[in-house]
Amino acid sequence: MPNSCINGRTLKRRIQAGVDSLAQQVETINQLNVFPVPDGDTGINMYHTLQRAWQEIAELDSEDVSLIADRFAHGALMGARGNSGTILSQLLRGFADGLAQASMLSPAQLRSACQAAVQQAYMSVAEPSEGTILTVAREATASLQRCAGSGVSLKEMLKTLTSAAEVSLDNTPNLLPILKEAGVVDAGGMGLVAFLRGLHCGQTKTPYSRADHSLSAPKAGAAGRYGYDVQFLMLGQRLDMARARRDLEELGWSVIVVGDEQTIKVHIHVDNPAIPLDYAIRMGAVLDDIVVENMDLQSQRTVVGRSTAQASAGHDSFDIAVIAVADGDGMQAVFRDLNCAAVIQGGAGHNPATEDFISAIKQLNSRQIIILPNDRNIFMAAQQAADLIAGKKVTVLRTDTVLQGVSAMLAFGDATDADADLETTLAKMNGASSATSSIEITRASRDSKFRAMNIKQGDHIALLDGMIAAAAADIEAVIVAAFAELDLTEYELATVYFGADVTGLECERLVRRLTMTIKGLEFESVYGGQSLYPYLISVE
Amino acid sequence: MTSSRIRIAADSVCDLPVDLADRLKVHIIPTYVNIGRESIPDDGESLDRERFYRELPAMQTAPTTAAPSPGDAEAFYRAILAEGVDHIVSIHVPEKLSGTLNAMRLGAEAVGSDRVTLVDSLQLTFGIGIQVWGAAELAAQSADLATLLDAIERMRQRTRVYAIIDTMEYLRRSGRVNSLAASIGGLLKIKPIVSVNEGEVVPVSRQRAWSRAVERLRALTLEQKPLERLAILHIANRSGAEKFLESIHDSAPSDTLIIETTPTLGAHIGPGSIGVATLKADWRR
Repeated sequence: MPNSCINGRTLKRRIQAGVDSLAQQVETINQLNVFPVPDGDTGINMYHTLQRAWQEIAELDSEDVSLIADRFAHGALMGARGNSGTILSQLLRGFADGLAQASMLSPAQLRSACQAAVQQAYMSVAEPSEGTILTVAREATASLQRCAGSGVSLKEMLKTLTSAAEVSLDNTPNLLPILKEAGVVDAGGMGLVAFLRGLHCGQTKTPYSRADHSLSAPKAGAAGRYGYDVQFLMLGQRLDMARARRDLEELGWSVIVVGDEQTIKVHIHVDNPAIPLDYAIRMGAVLDDIVVENMDLQSQRTVVGRSTAQASAGHDSFDIAVIAVADGDGMQAVFRDLNCAAVIQGGAGHNPATEDFISAIKQLNSRQIIILPNDRNIFMAAQQAADLIAGKKVTVLRTDTVLQGVSAMLAFGDATDADADLETTLAKMNGASSATSSIEITRASRDSKFRAMNIKQGDHIALLDGMIAAAAADIEAVIVAAFAELDLTEYELATVYFGADVTGLECERLVRRLTMTIKGLEFESVYGGQSLYPYLISVE
Repeated sequence: MTSSRIRIAADSVCDLPVDLADRLKVHIIPTYVNIGRESIPDDGESLDRERFYRELPAMQTAPTTAAPSPGDAEAFYRAILAEGVDHIVSIHVPEKLSGTLNAMRLGAEAVGSDRVTLVDSLQLTFGIGIQVWGAAELAAQSADLATLLDAIERMRQRTRVYAIIDTMEYLRRSGRVNSLAASIGGLLKIKPIVSVNEGEVVPVSRQRAWSRAVERLRALTLEQKPLERLAILHIANRSGAEKFLESIHDSAPSDTLIIETTPTLGAHIGPGSIGVATLKADWRR
């Protein structure tokens, strides 16, 4: 059946068609924001993710589909931006793994690779929610079951896949009430549909595959002991991750193996640390960032360490660094001023990629790192970076707004001498960030309806902790209305960060009027320099 | 009668109230506050604290503070020894923060080093006062030098001082604790809680709202329970101090003091601040 399989060159051509198809839909997808705020960036995030992925294969001429798919997935993993971009990168990663060593892509392999893709993507999300890109990928893949063993051509299968994805996309508002309320379909799902449409149109032939994607089941260590915690990176050209995972699972417990053909991160607990290292070397990998810790001694030391710290007390003894994402030179300066070790430029409309986090992490000497993503849509890319780093403990603290990030940063180092460990620090930062209310003021990017509100394009919108609290033409009215939603007896101080398009004088004037209207609150204005949001107000 | 052959001495930064110092026979050497061209001893009489703090925010040039001179120290020790005292235990503001101990050392050398034992309290304000108070009580019971020094050491380990700084303006202006200011940050208005640790002022918490800072101060104070001794400290904020005491009333010892901190420190910290000095009851073991 010469027409039923495709080779690497054809796959590459189809991928290019997929990327182009998405590129044409960027603006449309951006507009599919649940709220009509101008931070719609799903389209551009997915495009950047695929663009970075494309760079990996643009110069690559190979018949081998698994090589093409693997390189493409590697690029996507590094370039992942935003939650949808990150999930897309996991779909591609799973797809490539599902192909294993196949040199040609057959209908049966397409089906199993798609299944591996869906499985990988679901695994990467802590709490998968339906009515999203995940649903679209899953339902589209399920449609392929219907063509199983029926001698359908690859082209027909891609057609089935794409149409099923379209049907699933149209159904997303029925699964996710917030979409229905906003009258939109899921943006990430739409991005996936656009990519698939391109893949389908640009199409031709061949190959075969093997799906392999099981999460390692943790095995218990010998009773009462922890053994050694071993972490390292395996670097190489064509590493067989599926095999590595299978083999390593036999060598120890609590095994985590993630990555791609060029980089595999291994985390394993063993009785003899030499064994997994020896295995990796024998597999032909170059090892990097090797960390071996004796967990038995560590657990004893925790007890001892506490009491010594109490006696001698040292504030500079704890080696934790914070990386924050912020938009605007003022906002970034605030984070640095509060002793943030690195600030990554980014925010609504320009989310940083996984590799931006990776390079920031690598530049820091600290072994323990906390990331403040400061945006719901940046969390996953940061988490993906954390997962790919060996030799450092990287924790992503879920800060949804830059204002929560500032509060978390204030609490950084808020610890008396004896308890300044990572866990305590994280708990304090988390507590501080959730005790702050965020009011974000922006402008409607389109006409829309939300609850009882008729919102016109250009109106000012106030988001209170991420939900639309008020919308009107007059900015001050919107701010006052947002404050009215808060029980002001609980609060004392409002900090108004003014954006790039507002002058300090305008902000002062606003604050003076707010001080008169809103009683019992102290106001402070600070230059933020952020785009899209004339004012960001934290209330505490 | 061998009693009271050892006397306790301290500098005015210890914030021991004058009447209590008299009763305990503690000798206090004043530090100086320089306002304009005037150098005023902080002896509890020459300088009106209330007036000083009222005028502080409007002062054209920031007041500075000064240690006693070695000559002052020598005269101070000679006067005590003239009362028939065998030995002096002299407890002071940390060497890391003040030249006082150095001046006292020179003064002690002049009267005979074997007559004076110098102690770096590693604390500030009533964190010094707590050690002085406890030592004076033991001295009155004729404790020997080794017993006294051991007790001071144990009290020192169980003494904590925490304070909410209402505004960073004065600390920054004083330039004495640049690293502290840097670690707190300067772009946002912050009400930090600081502590004294091994003779240095260190940040403990960064709060933005006064009420949150007070809440945190309360938690830090209660961490030290059971309390043998407690003083609520303030700078031109007696009502704030009283309100705070009310909030921890059940845990406060009956002889809890409310103390307005010496201008020698207050000039660097500024009006509005409140704080605590605590001694944990388990210091006696």
